[in-house]
Amino acid sequence: MAKNNDLARIIGGCKSGDAESFSEVVDIYASRLYGYFYRLTGDREASDDLLSELFVKLVEKISSFKDGSFESWLFKIASNIFYDYLRGKQRQKKSFEVRKRQFESEVTEAKLSSNERIDKLQTQLGRIDTDTRELIMLRFYSQASFKEIAAMRSEPIGTTLSKLHRGLKKLRELMEC
Amino acid sequence: MNERNEKKLKELFEKFVGGEQAEQAAEDIQKGEQILREHSSPEPDGGLIANIKAEIAAKLLHKKEKSFRWMAYKMAVAAAFILIAVISVKLFETVPERPAGDLTAQKAIWESQSLADETLTAEMEQIESDMLAMESGENSGNGYETVTDLEMKLIETNGDFWKG
Repeated sequence: MAKNNDLARIIGGCKSGDAESFSEVVDIYASRLYGYFYRLTGDREASDDLLSELFVKLVEKISSFKDGSFESWLFKIASNIFYDYLRGKQRQKKSFEVRKRQFESEVTEAKLSSNERIDKLQTQLGRIDTDTRELIMLRFYSQASFKEIAAMRSEPIGTTLSKLHRGLKKLRELMEC
Repeated sequence: MNERNEKKLKELFEKFVGGEQAEQAAEDIQKGEQILREHSSPEPDGGLIANIKAEIAAKLLHKKEKSFRWMAYKMAVAAAFILIAVISVKLFETVPERPAGDLTAQKAIWESQSLADETLTAEMEQIESDMLAMESGENSGNGYETVTDLEMKLIETNGDFWKG
């Protein structure tokens, strides 16, 4: 991971429109962001699209990054992109429950239809509600503090802690079944 | 998660729940995150990364072109404004002053018109006095012819008047 000084230099380069600096940002964060999208969608193709969309958005929005944690800021954009994607998918369905079940089954079907290794974690993650799943992935891949995550989600830190605790506990139970 | 982070997490939970519960919650989170670490997610394809970098480069180029076009447009507008201002100043400077002769000519026209008016007035006065003389019988000779002459004169004068 880039040191703070290096990151500040890279961000400075991005702000002045240097393509090489953006390349460095891609090299540093692409893997974690891809993991975040993949664990939320369970679909490699969708994750590819979301990752591309994120970096294109980064070029457009970099001038609005002032200070604070760049990772939190970047993952906040990623989170917005994921929810936009989810809303787009949901608009195609009729009722919320049907939408949710179909989306979750699509996550599993997408994996089953491809020749990818079906990992148990992805299947069990599909059984956790979207909001909690997103919180777990945000915490794991952004490596942001609880305070930063609570700020990103615009909720009290106690709520964030409680949701994450319940989510991870449920995931553990599901994995142990 | 290292021991220090675990301790910090426990301390954080202690702000909301009791000591024992906080310890249990911190442990649950630790074990849950361990599961995530054990199941690594797939890495993005090399081709995808190359495409993203190419897309970024294209986007930056487009952005630069757009900003260049905007700058050129602003410069063109500024240049046009300056040009219009210069032309306006030049035009203002070269507007010819009215020659003094014009005023003299206008005055002459006015005076000549005044002269014509005076002649007309004099003729009308003459006709009027002739009419009065005829009515009072001062004018001898053929009265019919005199009236006809006067009428003819009056028509002629009237015509001159409307001709200006």
